[in-house]
Amino acid sequence: MKIQFFNRIFVLSILIGWNFSFAQDEGETLFKQVCVACHTINQGKLVGPDLADVHTRRSEEWLLKFIKSSQSVVNSGDPVATVLFEEFNKIPMPDNNFTDDQIRKIIAYIASNSPGGPGAGVAPEASELPPDLEGADERNGEKLFTGAERLASGGPSCITCHNVKNDNLITGGVLAVDLTEVYTRIGIAGVQAILGSPPFPAMREAYSGKSLEVDEIKDLTAFLKLADEIKKTQEGTNYGMTLLFSGFGGAFVLLLLFGGLLTRTKRGSVNQEIYARQIKSI
Amino acid sequence: MDVRAQVSMVFHLDKCIGCHTCSVACKNIWTDRKGAEYMWWNNVETKPGTGYPTKWEDQDIYKGGWERNNGSMKLKGAGKLRGLVNIFHNPHLPVIDDYYEPFTYKYLDLIESPAMDDQPTARPVSLITGKPIDIKMGPNWDDDLSGTPDYARNDPNLEGLSAAEQEAMFQLERMAFFYLPRICNHCLNPACVASCPSGAIYKRGEDGVVLINQKVCRAWRMCVTACPYKKSYFNWGTGKSEKCILCYPRIESGQAPACMHSCVGRIRYLGVMLYDADKIESALTGSKNDQELALRQRDILLDPNDPVVIQAAKENGVPDSTIKAAQDSPIYKFVKEWGLAMPLHAEYGTLPMLFYVPPLLPVMASLSDVNNDEQAEKMDPIAKYWNDNWLYDTSTDELWATIDKARMPLKYLANMFSAGDESVIKEALKKLMAVRIYRRWKTVGDIDESKAMAVLEDVGLTTEAVEGIFYLTSLAKFDDRFVIPPAHREQAIEMLEFTGDTKGSTGFGFKEKPLRGW
Repeated sequence: MKIQFFNRIFVLSILIGWNFSFAQDEGETLFKQVCVACHTINQGKLVGPDLADVHTRRSEEWLLKFIKSSQSVVNSGDPVATVLFEEFNKIPMPDNNFTDDQIRKIIAYIASNSPGGPGAGVAPEASELPPDLEGADERNGEKLFTGAERLASGGPSCITCHNVKNDNLITGGVLAVDLTEVYTRIGIAGVQAILGSPPFPAMREAYSGKSLEVDEIKDLTAFLKLADEIKKTQEGTNYGMTLLFSGFGGAFVLLLLFGGLLTRTKRGSVNQEIYARQIKSI
Repeated sequence: MDVRAQVSMVFHLDKCIGCHTCSVACKNIWTDRKGAEYMWWNNVETKPGTGYPTKWEDQDIYKGGWERNNGSMKLKGAGKLRGLVNIFHNPHLPVIDDYYEPFTYKYLDLIESPAMDDQPTARPVSLITGKPIDIKMGPNWDDDLSGTPDYARNDPNLEGLSAAEQEAMFQLERMAFFYLPRICNHCLNPACVASCPSGAIYKRGEDGVVLINQKVCRAWRMCVTACPYKKSYFNWGTGKSEKCILCYPRIESGQAPACMHSCVGRIRYLGVMLYDADKIESALTGSKNDQELALRQRDILLDPNDPVVIQAAKENGVPDSTIKAAQDSPIYKFVKEWGLAMPLHAEYGTLPMLFYVPPLLPVMASLSDVNNDEQAEKMDPIAKYWNDNWLYDTSTDELWATIDKARMPLKYLANMFSAGDESVIKEALKKLMAVRIYRRWKTVGDIDESKAMAVLEDVGLTTEAVEGIFYLTSLAKFDDRFVIPPAHREQAIEMLEFTGDTKGSTGFGFKEKPLRGW
């Protein structure tokens, strides 16, 4: 009896799981995971263009190429792509590692939510945040940015990869773009959208399962806004090449130090000269 | 006066034939184990040569031994502060290639090979990695290779010899070499003991044997650096350092150490010396230079027949049997009475208690021109025709001239045995030669008595002493060469446990209880 009972529970749970995983179709899942940070469907421009009716505007072949690697299309001199790139502040759309099938499903999802389609428009979840920064604390944002305050989810602090020109900050990482002017470049909606659901592969990977909280997004956006506003008065602590050269200098000093210590050390075998002349068979 | 007993040794280099029997005996007993394959607690070197490990005498490389420091002595490579600073990387250690990578051959490949067109071969394999290797070096790799640029000419003892002198040593027709067997010197001022951060090395009170406690050793390897003779070895298998134990289990049971017992040339002597431990420090710090230090080592050694010494020894707990052994000791005769034996590299400051009688043979003979034609004509035409026109000349018209014109320069021997003082080595060689001249008068008779006696007077030896040297050199029996004091283990055991507990429980027993009961 008991075994039968557990069997039923097991089968039931599989069925529920089955239902759940197929509740949303893959195109929608991917769109909401990835694209929605920068794109809307019929809700206006964000970081990237509104994708309503994109399936009618562009050929499927062009879309497949562009979604996989937008920069290679731009660099190939494609006129449409070049215009788009210029129009959207030369912010490259990150490359995506989708299969053709997945992209087709995303396009189908966009088609179904376009004005001609059955569904309503889709906007990024982040834009559900109030578009103003009422009550945001840019000091706290600064702390979150530098890592003085940990992100609630435990994700890495922004300064690891990003730099902002600000006197209060040490030079940030150079792995990702400089964020000093990001507020002017992509605006409040863009910043919040990207923070809410990072579209860039490295960033997406770094924050997968560690999404930022709404308050954190607000504070960070406020900090970035402030940084953008006061950038003219900031010296910045970007040591640039000085840091690099002082690194070399420090390494040189250390080498001298260790070299000095090691000169008094016996190195290798006293027979090395003899061994070097010997014929080797192995 | 703090009289203590030390088991010490004399190696008579004139008698060493370089057969390595001692090394093999030692290896078979003590170091034929994993991690110890490369160790040769006893090894025999060809001199001039670089030895094992290569150039061990060059303390600029290995930083072993003691050096003078404002009226006191300090360790050259280790010591308190320097040892602490270097404790984790120990900068002057010899590497395995300084010794040699131990190897064996895959002999089973010879036996188990199937029939085939070619002969099977036994490839050499490393005893460390187990993989086939090219043999690069061995513990006596430069054996008999005197004169080679790689080995003989790199001998650190050539320091202080002019280029012409060195060149003369290595001329093909004049080339000479001798063997130098080496074991741990069981020094009076051991650098290894002083260097050990764990306090694992100690000098046994009863006989002065220097031992490493394997339970206390923590693998710092400071002793490997500190020992200027490189006679402390690191076992890579156990992670402990090991060294010659002077076969103490054999000594305690009255047997000679394995290397000495097996010696084919009977070059080795072992006996007890009494010394004054109070004089060690003043000998070390009071001597202004190395040469003085070499001489002052003899002053530390005491006369075991002196009643004052005997009294002080007894007060210090030295057993009567040990005092008796010291009185019969061949070492005392060679070192103190006759002044023939000298420590190896006294300048390292460890006061080594293994003494060497310097080799006379390559010194005494010289080459002189001779016309061999007449002799050659007498020979059978198919016999080997000896057309050399020189003679290996041992004539004694000029008594001591041959020593000065020796093939092995005095300076070279002095660098090894008397810290560079040629007069000491010359005196010893003259004594050895006097014994020969005296015995030649006695046995061959081609030298007249007055000349033989003049020679003895010249070196200050009595006929009694000369006969004694002759006896101990050429005729000595086992018990003359090895005067081993009883170890008195029973006293040591009685200190630790009550022997009455085991009395009445010896004999034999039963594995099973007898039917009728006990």
